[in-house]
Amino acid sequence: MRLNNRLKFRDLLALVFFLTSLVIGCAAVQNPTLEGAREAYEKALRDPLIARNAGAALGRAGQTLQTADKIWAEEHDAAEVEHLAYIVQKRIEIARTIAQRRVASEEIEQPQSSR
Amino acid sequence: MTIRLRNCSLVLMTIFCVGCSASEPAPTNRITQADLAIRAAVDAKAADLAPVELQSARDKLAQARKMMAAEKYTEARRLAASAQVDAELAEAKAETTVMRRAADQILRGAYKPPTEAERESRKPLTSEPAAKDRATQ
Repeated sequence: MRLNNRLKFRDLLALVFFLTSLVIGCAAVQNPTLEGAREAYEKALRDPLIARNAGAALGRAGQTLQTADKIWAEEHDAAEVEHLAYIVQKRIEIARTIAQRRVASEEIEQPQSSR
Repeated sequence: MTIRLRNCSLVLMTIFCVGCSASEPAPTNRITQADLAIRAAVDAKAADLAPVELQSARDKLAQARKMMAAEKYTEARRLAASAQVDAELAEAKAETTVMRRAADQILRGAYKPPTEAERESRKPLTSEPAAKDRATQ
């Protein structure tokens, strides 16, 4: 009888442990596509060429990333978040392209002014 | 009692289903914005300078229109937004390519942008030899 009670207690403990880890695990679940977009955004933020020449364009990527984070936290809508992550990646690419264009534009202006 | 419970659950299920199917409004604005972005990309010569991105935007816009016709508005909105951003990237790439080519030409010395004096004197300089040529023929 005593052994039986001990077993029951151990089972209960295991169940509590399992449920706790499940809750913690669910709360920390990340979306790999969203994390990929975040990584790309943080890398772009550290790029001085983009920061100097296409800050506003990169800002749009940051806004979309914030929206994606909010939707993931509140609704866990994977399809919507993955769609927004795609938009973030493209906006980063646009920002990088704009930065390259400004560099080329400066190169055109420099020789003219030195002449 | 059991019949009441069953009825109640049926009502709840119906409310849930209606709530789920009440989808978002038709993304007409999104479609228009994507269309405008594609036109801007075409104007920036993206067909030659960023064909992959431009084609992707066109394909997605066509898909978005199909989804609109099928009243699948969520899919239509996502496709239109993707088409718009693809078109914006196509436009940016095309403009950057044009600017880079001009910068490279200047750096190689092959292209010299006209000075103000040259621009002013261009009209008489180009028209006079042409007139002379015609006169000699």
